This record gives sequence, structure tokens and C-alpha cells, in this order.
Amino acid sequence: MGRAAREENALDGRDREPAHAQLQPVAGITIQGMTKSFDVRPQPVRALDRVDLFVADGEFLCIVGPSGCGKTTLLRILAGLESPSEGTVDFAINHTNRPLQSMVFQEQGVFPWLTALDNAAFGLTARGVAKSERVERARAMLAKLGLSGFENTYPRQLSGGMRQRVNLARAFANDPAILLMDEPLGALDEQTKMLVQDDLLKLWEETRKTVIFITHSLDEAVVLGDRVAVMSHRPGRIKALYPVTLARPRNALELRNNPEFIEVRSRIWEALREEVLWSREE
Amino acid sequence: MAEGSIKAPAADSRRRSSADKTRIREILGSFGSPIAVLVLWEIGARTGVLDARILPPPTVVAVTIWDMIQHDQLLENTGITTLRFLVGMIVGTIPGTLLGLTMGLFRGVRVTLKPLVAIFYPIPRIALFPLVLILVGLNETSNIIMIAIGPFFTMLITAMAAVINVEPIFLDVAKNFGVKPRQLYFTVTLPAVLPSLMAGGLVSLGLALLGTVAVEFLVSTEGLGYVIWNSWQVLSLSRSMAGLVVAAILGAACYLLMDWLERWITPWQSPAAKR
Repeated sequence: MGRAAREENALDGRDREPAHAQLQPVAGITIQGMTKSFDVRPQPVRALDRVDLFVADGEFLCIVGPSGCGKTTLLRILAGLESPSEGTVDFAINHTNRPLQSMVFQEQGVFPWLTALDNAAFGLTARGVAKSERVERARAMLAKLGLSGFENTYPRQLSGGMRQRVNLARAFANDPAILLMDEPLGALDEQTKMLVQDDLLKLWEETRKTVIFITHSLDEAVVLGDRVAVMSHRPGRIKALYPVTLARPRNALELRNNPEFIEVRSRIWEALREEVLWSREE
Repeated sequence: MAEGSIKAPAADSRRRSSADKTRIREILGSFGSPIAVLVLWEIGARTGVLDARILPPPTVVAVTIWDMIQHDQLLENTGITTLRFLVGMIVGTIPGTLLGLTMGLFRGVRVTLKPLVAIFYPIPRIALFPLVLILVGLNETSNIIMIAIGPFFTMLITAMAAVINVEPIFLDVAKNFGVKPRQLYFTVTLPAVLPSLMAGGLVSLGLALLGTVAVEFLVSTEGLGYVIWNSWQVLSLSRSMAGLVVAAILGAACYLLMDWLERWITPWQSPAAKR
């Protein structure tokens, strides 16, 4: 399969991405020289500093980094919620008949005034998809995430884990080519987190969308990702990239005792630790 | 334990029935407390703990109310007060809400109008009455203006603050999912501010009722406020008390109506939806 071949490529190119990925005729997201400064007092803050990154079509990329390293800013630029101060993003991904990207926000991004079904159908409603179709798609997505019977429930009546599944359903039902996820499971307790990770793995392995997933949990990054990018402390840069070749389908719970998992995790942790210590000293 | 072995559906229905019980207990409580006060009042007045000349027992007040309905146009006076109150409430809350929303949405409008709000809002409203009477005249319009001022400022400030405090993440979500800027007001801003507006409405209600009775004390020759004040001036305390009780019932009815309206307009805020 092409997928296996790509993973090997990633292995060869360990830690280092081709600097001019856009020259290759490979589908994917190319970020080049992206810098972002925020004009705040007393002096402007540089959140991102010349970030170069290539994410292949169909890849699950996780980004970890110390808090405040600009990973959310990077994602918000990709989501069209901020514009970069310098640099370019090129989305060479085929997305006929579907939106280019949708973002999975943190848990509080679920609209409290909409039922689970209306939340899940939100993107479809905004795009003007016919009612019968959007209800059907949202219902099916909720069912896949184990939320059948809660269609007419308001988020406040749901547990944190269920709310977060509604959040996932909203993005997946919208069926975009790219999913951008901003620490979507950060607020969940460990057990619930693992369950939702499994849901997410299952959904993704079915659809194989391009995913950029931001997390502060290294475990989570290794469980979910094809590759893990480590960002440096502010101003954020991509410090290193690590392929994760663990076989799929993966199981969030079992994986944690897998020797390969532990090995990859500790290798990435070495790179991450420096950055975390750095940002703590600041 | 026995509880651990209960299967999900059973546990679910059990939870529902305990929710029903809680609901029944709440309803009993909300009726029980006023009834308890009435009973204590009755006993107190009958046994002489309370001076029955000043606080006639509820049964006497009830008879007085009945008597006044038949001979002294109490219903007509109640109707006049209700109408004044409603008109004042509408004239105050609707423009107040619209202006508040506009000030919340548009920084320019906010910056321009905020100083005026800061000057006029803290003035004790009743102190404006002479001025309003001179400007507008001794008529119903000035009464309505007086009643409307409280709700107007309350809704203006509530609505403005609510718009400013809409969670930015909601706007981000809407933008990301392709909601157009103009649709944003109806898909996000409005539902997000509704709970605050309903709370502001409840406060406005109390202020409007206060304003109505105050105006009727001062200038009117009809309405519940007039009945209360006039009866007191002729030292007919049981009649004054009767007017007060009817005013209280009117207030409670409006409050319950508002509560029902809130459940209907913002169902996601209902007690059942709160954890």
C-alpha cells in the first residue's frame, strides 16, 4: 500500500523535512516561512518564527510543544481565523464537493443553545445542505460516536466526554478534506480521554482525512499520530519531526504498554523536555 | 451493593422518577412558603400577637378585597395599573434592548453613547419626575416615561454587556464552519445573549412595577398605587392592605409569566438542563 511506502519515506527523512516540499508533486499542506507576531503592549510578541512544515494528504500529524509555543496560533492560521505576518500556506489537497477544512475546537466550543443533533449538523446548516440530508448525516455521525438517543439533548445535560464527542461529530459530519484539532481532549479525565481517543482513531481510520492535531499530551500524540512534530518554546518553530510507525488499527488502551510505543515516546520526550524546561525558566 | 447491579434503563427511569419527586417537592415548596406566611399572619392577627388594626388578618383582607371589587372598582384600578405597567415595560425594554445590542456590536456607537448612559443611569429616577412633568405635562405619557426609564437602562446595560461577553470561541466556530458575518448575529450572538436578556427582563419587571406604583402614589387618581396611598391617607388600613395584596399578586403573576417565558425562549437553560 502507498501508505506503508510513505511511512518508510518518513523514516528515512527522520527529523528533517524536505525544505522545498512544494516542488514535489505530492498532495498535502505546505507551510513555508510562516511567522506571526501579535501587536500587543508593551512590545510585540512573536508567536511563530519561520515555520516550515509539510503535511501529506491523508496524514495524521500531531504537534506537541510547551505551552505558549504558538501551536494554537499555527492551527488558527490554517483554520483561517488568523492571518500570518509572513510566509505562505499552500493547500494542495483535492476537496471537490466538500469543505477544505473544519476545526475541532476545545470542549467549550459546543453551542449550549443547540441540541446535540443541531450542533452536529452546524457546518452542514451553514453550508445550506438540505434539511433531510443534514439530519441524516448528523444522526449517523452521532450514532457512530455512541450518542444515539441523545440527539435532542442539550450539551449541558451531557457529560464532558459526550460533549466532546458532539464536538467531533460536528467536524466529521461536515466531511472536510482536512481536520484541524486544537487540544480537543485536553479537558477530559484520563479514562474518558482514552475512550474518546479510540472513537477518534476508529473514525479516522475509516475516513483517512488529513489531520493536524495539537495536544499537550505526548502520549496522546504518539497514540494518534503518523508523525509527531515537536515545537520549540516561543517563538515557535518546528524543532523536530518523528515518525510513529505503530501498526494500525490502533487501540488507545493497549498501545500504552507496547514497547515500541514506549521507545518512540521517550525519544520524543528528550526533544520536548528541553523546550518545556526552557519555557519554564522564562 | 444492590444499586450496582441495576441496569442502565432501570437506573434511568429511577433517576427520572427521583427528578419528578424533586420537581413536586419544589412546587410544593414554592406554594408552601407563601401559604405558611399567610397562616402565621392569620394566627398572629387573631391571637393579638400582631395588631389587627395595623395588620388585619388575611381573611379580613380577602373580604375587604371582595367588597372593594363590588363597590370601589378595584378590578378597574387593577386593570389600569396592569396596562400602565405593560405599556411602560414594552416602551422601556424593547428600545433599551435594541440600543444595548447595537452598542455591544458596534464599538463606535458604544464609545459615543456610553458617557450619556454614565450620566443618566445613576440619577435616582424618581427625582426626574418633576422635570418630566414640566417637559411632557401632567398626563399619561409622563407616567409611562417614568415607568419605562428603569427597564430601559437595565436592558441597555444588560444587552451591551452580554454582547461584549459572548465567548470568542463561539464566533470562531461559526466563522470556521462558514457562517457569513451577517448571519453571525442570528446564529451566534443572539442565542448567546438570550439568557442574559431574560435575566435583565426579570429585573426590569420589578423596576417597572415599582415605577408604576410610585407614579400612582404621586400624581394619579386611579390605579392600585392610588388605592393604597389614598386608603392610607384616610387611615383605612385594611383597604390599603387589600390594595397592597392585589399589587403583590399582580407582581407574582408577572414574575411567573416571565419565568415561563424564559423556559420557553431559552429551553437549554432550564433547570433540567443544568448539571
